[in-house]
Amino acid sequence: MNHYTNSVEVSSGDGSIGRSARYRKSASLLLMVIGCVIVYLLPAWLGGSTVVYGLFVTIAILSVMALGVDVVLSYLGEVSLGHTIFWAIGGYAAAILSTTWDVNGWTTAAAAVALSVLAATMLGLATLRTREFVFSLATYAAAVVVAEITFNTDALGGSDGIVGIPPLHLPFGIADFTGRSSADLWPIAFALLLLSLGFVARFRRSRLGMQALMVQMNAPLATSSGLDAHRVRFLVFVVSAPITALAGWLYAYQRAYVGPDMFDMYFLTMMLTSIILVGTRILLASTIGVTLLLIQQNYLSIGGDGNKVVLGTVLVLMLVLWPKGLVRLIVDAVKPAVRRRQIVELNDGEVSLRKESARSR
Amino acid sequence: MTEVLSARSLTVRYGGNTAVHDVDLGIGAGRMVAVAGANGAGKSTLVNALAGWSRGYPVVSGDVLLDGQNISRLPPHQRSRGGLQHVPEGKNVFSELTVEENLALVRLGEDHVGRFLFSRSEVIDLFPRLHERRHHKGSALSGGERQMLAMARALLAGPRILLLDEPSVGLAPRLIGEVLAVVRSLVDRGLPVLVVDQNVRAVLEFADELYLLERGRIVGHGSAASMKNDDRILKAYLGDLAVKGDLQ
Amino acid sequence: MNVAQQAINGLVIGSGYACVALGWTILLGAARLVNFAHGQMYMLAAFICWFILTRSGIGYPLAAAISIVAMALLGVGMQLMMGRLVMTQNLTSLMIVTLGFGYILQGVAGLLFGGAPHTITTELVQQKIQFGDVWFTSQELLIFVVTLILYGVVWLVLQRTRQGAIIRSVAEDPKLAQLFGIDSRSVYIAIFVLEAVLVALAAVLVAPRTPILTSMGFEEVIITFVIVVLGGIGNVGGALIVGMLLGLFTSFFGALVTPAYTTAAIFAVLLAFLIAKPEGLRTR
Repeated sequence: MNHYTNSVEVSSGDGSIGRSARYRKSASLLLMVIGCVIVYLLPAWLGGSTVVYGLFVTIAILSVMALGVDVVLSYLGEVSLGHTIFWAIGGYAAAILSTTWDVNGWTTAAAAVALSVLAATMLGLATLRTREFVFSLATYAAAVVVAEITFNTDALGGSDGIVGIPPLHLPFGIADFTGRSSADLWPIAFALLLLSLGFVARFRRSRLGMQALMVQMNAPLATSSGLDAHRVRFLVFVVSAPITALAGWLYAYQRAYVGPDMFDMYFLTMMLTSIILVGTRILLASTIGVTLLLIQQNYLSIGGDGNKVVLGTVLVLMLVLWPKGLVRLIVDAVKPAVRRRQIVELNDGEVSLRKESARSR
Repeated sequence: MTEVLSARSLTVRYGGNTAVHDVDLGIGAGRMVAVAGANGAGKSTLVNALAGWSRGYPVVSGDVLLDGQNISRLPPHQRSRGGLQHVPEGKNVFSELTVEENLALVRLGEDHVGRFLFSRSEVIDLFPRLHERRHHKGSALSGGERQMLAMARALLAGPRILLLDEPSVGLAPRLIGEVLAVVRSLVDRGLPVLVVDQNVRAVLEFADELYLLERGRIVGHGSAASMKNDDRILKAYLGDLAVKGDLQ
Repeated sequence: MNVAQQAINGLVIGSGYACVALGWTILLGAARLVNFAHGQMYMLAAFICWFILTRSGIGYPLAAAISIVAMALLGVGMQLMMGRLVMTQNLTSLMIVTLGFGYILQGVAGLLFGGAPHTITTELVQQKIQFGDVWFTSQELLIFVVTLILYGVVWLVLQRTRQGAIIRSVAEDPKLAQLFGIDSRSVYIAIFVLEAVLVALAAVLVAPRTPILTSMGFEEVIITFVIVVLGGIGNVGGALIVGMLLGLFTSFFGALVTPAYTTAAIFAVLLAFLIAKPEGLRTR
C-alpha cells in the first residue's frame, strides 16, 4: 500500500524563526557536539586496544565509503554498483603515489579526489541517458571490467597488489601527523567521517541537492521548470565519487596494502546493505548500518564464507520484508509518540523511487 | 431480479484522496447499465475497482459480488476467469501480438453455467473486420479495430458480465453507433453490460439504466428514459442547447 | 595464426556466450528482471555437476540433469522470496535482491566446495575431432549444437505457441494480461525458473572447458549483459547473433592482441555502442 504525503522539507537553517525553535536548534547542536565527543572517546573507554581502534577506524572508513553510494541512492534514486571503482581509485592512488614517490597524505588525497572525479565524469557521461537497471548494470559492468584490468596490469600491482605503503603523513603546518597505528589513525578517520557527513548534510540543503530531489520526485515537472535532469544526475554522481574515494584512500593507509580485493563483492554488498538496513535519506544510515554489520562480523562471526551468507541474507530480507529500512519501521510503529520532522516521503521511502504511473503508456 | 454483478459500499482511495465514496450499484441480467459523470468523477476508477484491477495502487474497500459470490478478495485474473470481463480504456489489446494471438490468449474454463458462450465464428460474425486483419499486429490496427478486438476477446472468454470503459474514445461517430448497437444486441440476448462513457448522449440511446457519478459519489440513478430528462444530465453533459425534444 | 581455427574457436566460444545469455535475455525481456545472481547460479550449477561427478559414480549426462533440476528448484525458491516485489514491479529493489542472492550463493558455495579450483572432467572434453587444419573437442561440438537447437526451440515456443504468446503478453503489459485471465505472477515464476534451467544447462556444457572457482561468475554476467544490450532486450535472435560475433571477437582479439583483457575489450565495444546510441536501451 503506497501512499505519499506531499510535504516538503522545512529547512530551519535560515534563522528567521521563533525563539523556541532557536532554543531547540542550539540544544540539538549541543547534543551533536556532545555526541561527537563521546563517540571520539569511545574506543579509549572500551579498552583502547589495537583491535578496538582498528574496528572503529574500519567502521569510519566503510561508513564514508557507503556514504558515496548513499548520495546517489537517496538523491537520485539510482543504485550505483560502480562505486567500488572510486573506492579502489582512492586506495590505489594512495598506494602508488606514496610508494613510488615520497609524497604526503595531502597529495595522495588530492590525487584520489581528482582521479575519482575524472573516472566519475567518464562513467557519468557514458551512462548519462541510462536509467534504473540499465544504469546499475552499466556501473556494475564497469566495475567488473576495471577490476579485471587492475588484476591483469603489473603496473598496478597485478594480482598481488601493492604492499609496503608507508604510514600516513599529514603535515599541518604547525605540527606533523604520522599515523603508524590504528589508534593514531582514529582521529583522522573520525575527522573524515565528520567531514563527509557534514558535506552530505550541506549538500542536502544545497541547490544541487534540492534539484536532485525535484528531478527524482517528478522529472517532467522539474524539466518544464527549467532543470536539466541529465546535468543534475551527472553532477550528483560526480560529487558522490570523491567521498568513496577518500574512504579508499584511508583504507590503503590502514592496511598498508591495496589489491584487487578492493573490488570484492564484499564492499559493494556492504555499501548497499548498510544503507538499506537503516533507510534512505537518513544522514547517519551508512554509519549505523556499517556499525551493526561490522559488529556481527567481528563478534558474531561464522567464518568468511558464513559471513557472506549473513550479509547477503540481511540484504535480501530487508528488501523483501522491510524495504523502508529499520528506522522508518520503528518510527511507523511508534508513530503517535514521535514528533516527526516533515520530510519528503516518496513511495514509503522504498529503494525504487520512480513513480509507477510514468511507466504505463 | 437478482443482480449478476453488485457492489456494496465500494470505496477507492489513492494516497490521501478518496476517488470513489461508498458506492452501491447493481447490474441485472439482460440490462445495459451506463455510468455517466464528468471527467474525474471517478468512473474509470469505479469500473476498475469492480474488476479488482488498476494501473496504479489504489486501496479498495467494500464488497463486489458476481452471481452471488463475493469476489472482493480475488485478484483480477481470477475475476476474469470467473466471468467478469473488463475492457479497460486506453491500452486494451497487445500491440506486439497479432489479432489471432490476442484472441488465442483467451481460454474458456470448464464451468459454463451462467456464462454467455461465443464461438470463434460467432465473434467473427460480429466483427468481420477482425477476420480480415487476423495476422496483423495490434499496433497495426486502427482505434476502432482495436476496440473491436478488445471486445471480441472479452466475448471469447465466456463472460457473465461485460464492463466497458470508454468504448467510444477515438472512434468515428458512425462507428460508435455501430459498436454500441452490437453491444445492445448482446444485451438483448441476456448478457449484462456496464458501460462507462463520456459520450452520454450516444450511450443513453442504448442503455436501460443510468447511474450518475459526481466526485466519486452516486448522485442519481434511474431508467435511461427518466434520466434523459434529468436536469443535471441535460445541463452538465448535453450542453445548454439540448432541448428535451432532441433526445426522443 | 590459423584463421580457420580461430574462427572455429570463436564459434564455440560464441555459442557458449549465447547459451549463457539466452535465459537472461528472456527474463529481462519478459519480466524486466535483472538477475544479478546469474553468474553465481552458473558457478553453482557447475560445482554441483562437478561434485556429483567426483563424489559418486553418476555419469555426466545424469549429473548434468541433476544440476539443472537443482537450479530450477533454487529458481523457484528465489522467486517465492521475491514475491511481493515482483508484482509491485519494484525493479530496482528486485535487482538488488538478486545481487544479495548472488552473494549468498557465493558464500554457500565457498562453505560447501571451498576455494580451490576444480575441473569438470568428461570424456567429451578429451575427444578431439580433426578436420584438416582445424580441430575441436566433442564437448565443443556439443555446445555449438545444443545452443543452436536451444535457440531454435525457444524461438519456436515464443513465436508459435500459446504459451509463448502468454509470455510475450506478460512481457508487454503484465497488468493487461491479468484482464485476459493470465496470472502474471505465475508466468514470472516460470520465466525465472526457465532462466535458472538455461543458465544451469549452459554451465554444465561450457564449464568443463576451464577450471571452476567459487569466486567465478562475474565475467559471465558482463558478457551476458553486453550481448543483451547489443542484441536487444528480449531479442532471442539478436542474442544468438551477437553472442556468436562476440565469440569470434574474443577469439581473434585473444590471438592478435592478448587474452587477458578480453572482457575489458568487449566492454569497450559496449561503451562505444552506448555512447553512439545514448538512449542505451529501449526500455518500456
